[in-house]
Amino acid sequence: MSFDLFKKENSIIENGYTLLEAGGIVDEESAKEFKKLLSAYKKLFKSTRRLVKMSDRNEEKLNALAGTLDEKNKMLEGLSSKLAKYLSPQIYQSIFSGAHDTSLTTQRKKLTVYFSDIKDFTQTTEDMQPEDLTYLLNSYFTEMSGIALKYGATIDKFIGDAMLMFFGDPETKGVKEDARACLHMAIEMQQRMSDLKKIWHRKGFEHPFEMRIGINTGYCNVGNFGSEDRMDYTIIGGEVNLAARLEASADPGGILMSYETYSQVKDIVETEARKPIHVKGIRREVKPYAVTNIYDDMENNQHVIRHDRVGFNLFLNLDKLTAEDRKKAQKTLTDAMERLKS
Amino acid sequence: METIIIKATERSPEVNFDFDANTFAIKGESYPEDVTEFYGDLLLKLELHLSNLNGETVNFTFELIYFNSSSAKVLMSLFDMLEEIAEEGNTVNVVWLYESDDDNMEELGEEFGEDLEAANFKMKTTEG
Repeated sequence: MSFDLFKKENSIIENGYTLLEAGGIVDEESAKEFKKLLSAYKKLFKSTRRLVKMSDRNEEKLNALAGTLDEKNKMLEGLSSKLAKYLSPQIYQSIFSGAHDTSLTTQRKKLTVYFSDIKDFTQTTEDMQPEDLTYLLNSYFTEMSGIALKYGATIDKFIGDAMLMFFGDPETKGVKEDARACLHMAIEMQQRMSDLKKIWHRKGFEHPFEMRIGINTGYCNVGNFGSEDRMDYTIIGGEVNLAARLEASADPGGILMSYETYSQVKDIVETEARKPIHVKGIRREVKPYAVTNIYDDMENNQHVIRHDRVGFNLFLNLDKLTAEDRKKAQKTLTDAMERLKS
Repeated sequence: METIIIKATERSPEVNFDFDANTFAIKGESYPEDVTEFYGDLLLKLELHLSNLNGETVNFTFELIYFNSSSAKVLMSLFDMLEEIAEEGNTVNVVWLYESDDDNMEELGEEFGEDLEAANFKMKTTEG
């Protein structure tokens, strides 16, 4: 006894013919109709058999295709994760989600631009072995990129020892929040650089890197620049040059920002006004502000009292006041209180 | 008859036929290269066993993820076999298990179940 997938159907046909041959249907007309029905059933059964076979073959091909697609997908995933390392995560996301346009188009947007480099990089690294330089640069860029990604910066490019980043494209939280995120990022970077300097020094590097940062807020052209075959998603404009110029004027380990950025962050930062500078391509005189302190977490800072509203500005930093200054401040506030009451 | 246990492969399902307990299960994916080779012997043994039952209870569980057209034909034959022995006075309980998000297997289960009248048919999700 062997297995037949269509045993039932075959046996129906067989029984039908046996019945016919045995003269089981006496009426001639009925026998003729039964014969017709039987041959139609046979035909239908043949078609079903063929269809099952065909369907099996198609499914087999589809399964093979699905397997190939799986492999291709895995390969693409691997490639894209490698490619991601060459792009800013925001740009990568917008390309892979299909939102990014790869034509040579740009937009004007108000961005906060960050520019930094290492002071005296060429001289510092002149006597260094290439392996040491590679180690220093890689650890510097890895640490700084990690902080940049934490704050949502779009890393535009690394130019030798310099870094160009911006806030406000492709994602923005508004001009003010973008500027604040940039400032927080810059401060954390300088704090981390101060830790790294100690680590590098311990490792035997006599002149560890010192970073200077320039920040500016203004309208830039952002988008695809280059040729149809090879393009860069980047920013250009006088405001970008200004960030670079501010960086060049910043103190080693310091942050220098333009008035435009300062106006967005002034309630959370303590600054020192510097001498105005002129930048090619920018008609106005640029007033730089060097960051000296940040008063961000006001509620947790018991030494700082700050209140800003129209007609009333108060900034009190108890840490910076001498005993005599405190007395003077008390007198000023008491006088102010009396005048307010009257 | 001795219990038949076949481990699942990439193309064929796990089979557990406990003839003494009248408990049978087919689980996994089914698109063997040669359906007759995989199911032939199994179905012959099952048919022989089931045809000798009288007033007994048979439990059959299907837990399939995917099957091709020839396997579908095998399943239809199995359902016919189970319906026949139920009509003959045996209690037949068929359980169709499917993953809750597998609409295809749910729909196929409903269609197969329509052919059963004398046998009891239940559909359940694998998550319970």
